[in-house]
Amino acid sequence: MNAQQLNLPGGCPLWLVERSGPAILSAKLWLRGGSSADAAGERGAAQLLAGVLSRGCGQLSGDALADLVEGCGAGLRCEAAEDGTLLSLKCASSDAEALLPLLLQMACQPWLVDDQIDLERQLNLQTLQRQREDPFQLAHDQLRGLLYGDGPYGHDPLGVDAELRALGRPQLQAVASELGQSGAVLVLAGEIPNAVEELLLAGLDGAPPSWRAPERQTGPAGLQQAALASSQDDTEQLVLMLGCTTTALGTPQALALRLLHCHLGVGMSSRLFVALREEHGLAYDVGVHHPARIGDAPFVFHLSTGSDRAAEATSELLREWQRLLEEPISEAELALALAKFRGQEALGRQTSSQIADRVALLLGHGLPADFADQSLVAAAALTPADLQAAARELLGQPSLSLCGPTHALKAAEAVWQASGFSR
Amino acid sequence: MPEPRLSSLSNGTNLVQINLPQAPVVCLDLWCRAGSAWENEAESGLAHFLEHMVFKGSQTLEAGEFDLQVEALGGNSNAATGFDDVHYHVLITPEAAPKALDLLLDLVLQPRLDAADFAMERQVVLEELAQSEDQPEEVAFQELLRQACCGHAYGLPILGRREALEAHTPAAMAAFHSRHYRADRCCLALAGPLAGLDLLEQLQASPLAQLPAAEILAAPPPSPSPLQLQPGQARLELPRLEAARLLMAWQLPGAADQDAVMGGDLLTTLLAEGRRSRLVERLRERLRLVESIDLDLNVLESGCLVLLEAVCEAEQLSAVEQEVRRVLLELQESPPGELEMQRARRLVGNGYRFSLEVAGSVAAMVGNSNLWQRRHNLQQPLSWLEGWDGQRLSRELIPLLHPDRAFSLQAVPA
Repeated sequence: MNAQQLNLPGGCPLWLVERSGPAILSAKLWLRGGSSADAAGERGAAQLLAGVLSRGCGQLSGDALADLVEGCGAGLRCEAAEDGTLLSLKCASSDAEALLPLLLQMACQPWLVDDQIDLERQLNLQTLQRQREDPFQLAHDQLRGLLYGDGPYGHDPLGVDAELRALGRPQLQAVASELGQSGAVLVLAGEIPNAVEELLLAGLDGAPPSWRAPERQTGPAGLQQAALASSQDDTEQLVLMLGCTTTALGTPQALALRLLHCHLGVGMSSRLFVALREEHGLAYDVGVHHPARIGDAPFVFHLSTGSDRAAEATSELLREWQRLLEEPISEAELALALAKFRGQEALGRQTSSQIADRVALLLGHGLPADFADQSLVAAAALTPADLQAAARELLGQPSLSLCGPTHALKAAEAVWQASGFSR
Repeated sequence: MPEPRLSSLSNGTNLVQINLPQAPVVCLDLWCRAGSAWENEAESGLAHFLEHMVFKGSQTLEAGEFDLQVEALGGNSNAATGFDDVHYHVLITPEAAPKALDLLLDLVLQPRLDAADFAMERQVVLEELAQSEDQPEEVAFQELLRQACCGHAYGLPILGRREALEAHTPAAMAAFHSRHYRADRCCLALAGPLAGLDLLEQLQASPLAQLPAAEILAAPPPSPSPLQLQPGQARLELPRLEAARLLMAWQLPGAADQDAVMGGDLLTTLLAEGRRSRLVERLRERLRLVESIDLDLNVLESGCLVLLEAVCEAEQLSAVEQEVRRVLLELQESPPGELEMQRARRLVGNGYRFSLEVAGSVAAMVGNSNLWQRRHNLQQPLSWLEGWDGQRLSRELIPLLHPDRAFSLQAVPA
C-alpha cells in the first residue's frame, strides 16, 4: 500500500493512498462517537445528525449541496455506526476540486435546519417501524438487548422510537459541536488531486477543526450472562441467534476470535455451513456475525429453519458452540481458516472505497494503518490451542434469541433449558 | 478502457478475456443460458435447484470438495440463477487461477446429482423458499410480477413452486442440464490480471472443450416467448407488513437493444436516483408522503422490467399513487431539460465507471454480453449514453413509462 501520512492544520490526520487505474477518488472522514455515544434519553441522535449533515452546510443549502453532488454524478453518504460517524464521498477524480471542500464543511458547519431535521427524523422513525417486518431484524434487536442491555451498544443506531421523536435542533447542535472531538481521521484513496490540503480546507475561512487522531481506548462493555429471549411471530421459519459479547479489535484474543470466525462462518466450506446446511439441510442461510468494534464486539451464530425442525436446529447450533469450548480445531481446519483470513484481506482491497474504508476503520480504532498486515503475520503463529483458549475465555456464556411461531419457540426453548448453557 | 478479447473453442464455446492489471484478483465466470425462463411447467424451480446441486460435487469431485479446495486457495465462489441465465463464479489470486479454473469447469459441467444429496439439498431449497416467504416485501413483489406478466416466466418465482420442488428427480435435473449446458449456450469470462496466465491452452483440454458442438446436437430449445406486460391494478393485504407499499411495473425493450437499456437507465435515474430526482424530490422531500421511493431497471432478454417501490403509511397510499401518476404525466408533457439530463448522464456514467473497478463486475458484464451474442467493448455503453438527449428520451422511451401502461399493486398490512 502506497500511503502517505500528513496532518491538516488543526491536527486531523490525513492519509493519502495513491492508486493507479481508474480515475476515481474515494474519501472517508471517520469521526469517533457514533450511536454508542448517544446521551441518555437521546438514542438515535448520532444517526439523525449524520443524516442532516448533508442537508445544508457552509454556503450551500441542502438543495444546492444535492445539486452539486448529484450534478457531478458522485456518491455521498453520512452514517452513524456504533463507534463512529462516517462521511463517505466517491467521485470521478476530475470532480475532486468541486467536491472535496464539502467533507469538512459538513462536519464543521452544518446548517441543522428545523424543517430538514423534521424530515430526517420522520424517515428514521418509518425505517425503524418497517424493519420490524424482517424476522432477522427482530431476533437481532432482541439479542442486542440480551448482550448489551441499556449500555452504549444496546440500541440500533437509528435509535429508539420514543427518544427519537423528542430529538430536535438543540440536541443535534450539542452533538454536532462535539463531532471529531474524540478523534477524527480523513483517508483518501484513488487518484489524489494536487493541492489536496487546500481543497479540503477550502470554505472553512482559515479555521480548520482542532481534531486529534483517535487514540486507543477501552470501548463499551457487554453483559456477561447466559439469557434467553423469545418473540412470537407468525412466520414459517424460526430465526435463531446464539451469541455473546467478546472483545475489541486489536486486543490479544481478537485475532484468535477472527480465525474462529473464518473457521465457522466464512465460505461454503465453513464449519456451520457444512454441519447445519450440507449435513442436515436445516437452513439456507447460516453464518457468523462478528463485526469489528472498539468495545466488546458481539460474536453471533445465526440461522433460520423450518418451524417443525426447531428442536433439531437448536441442538445442532448449541452442539457447534459447545464444540468450540471442548475441542481444539484440527491443524487442517486452522490452515483453512488462515487461508480464508488472507483471502478476505485480498478481496477486501479491490476498490478505492474498500481501501479507504479499511484504513479509516483501523485508524479510527487507534490502531496502526498497517495493522491488517501485522495481523496476517501474527495469525500464522496461532495454534489450535490458542483458538480454544480464546473460545473458553470469551465464548463461555452465550445467550439465545428466538423469533418465530409459538410451537417452534416452545421446542427450541425446551432444548435450551435442557442444555448446559441455560444454567 | 481495457479491451475484451474474444475467442472460441473448437466446439464453438465462447470465451472472453479482459486484462485488468490493477486488480488484485481474477474472476472466473461461467455463464449459461439456463435461467428459470427455460423451464417447462413441471420443471418449476429446477434451474435454481440445479445451481445448488452443482456444488454437491461432480464425477471427480466429492460433495464440498470444490468449496474446500477453492477456499483453501484463498478464493471464494458463488452462483446466481436469473430468469434468463445462470452463472458460476470464482474470485481467486492470479497464481491460483489455473487450478481454480479446472475445478470450476469440472464442477459445473459434470455434476454428480447423487440421490441422497438431492434429497438433502431439496430441504435447503425449501428453507430458502420459506425464508423468502417470511419477507412480506418479497411476497408483494412476487405477486406484482405474477399479475403483471400474466403467464410469462418472469411472473413465476425463480425458486419454484413448492409442489413442483417436492416432485423433482435427479433424472429430470440431468435432462435439464444436458439440454441447456451445451457449447452453444455457454460462455466463459475471465477478468483480472491475466498477463502471464495462459488459460486458453488449458481450456482446450478442459471439460468446456468436451461439450458437444452445436452441429451434432438437437436444435436448441425454443426461446421463451416475448414478454407482454399487462397494465392493470390490484390490491393485496399482507400479514406482517409494517408499512404499505405501492409497487408498479412497466415494460421496456429487451436486453438485445443495449442502446435502449442505457436510455432506460437514464430515465430511471432522472426519475428516482438522488434527492433531486423527480420522484424522490416530490414524494419524499417536498410532500413527505413516502419513506422511500425507488425505480429499478431490470435488464432481461424477453423485455426489460422497470419496477417502482414506494414505502409509505397505508392511509397515504392513494395520495402516493396519484402523485406518482402526476409526476409521470408531467414527464409525458414536456421533455426533460438539459441540466436534468446532464445530472442523470453523470450519475449513470459514473456508476458504470465505478463498476469497472471490480474484476467480478467486469467479468459479469462481458460474460453476460457475450453469452447473448452482444460483442460491444466497454467504451460502447458510454457512447450510447451520449446519444440520448431529452428529445430522444421523450420520443422513444418516456411514452413507455406512461402510468396507464403500468401494472400497479397496492400492498397493505392485513
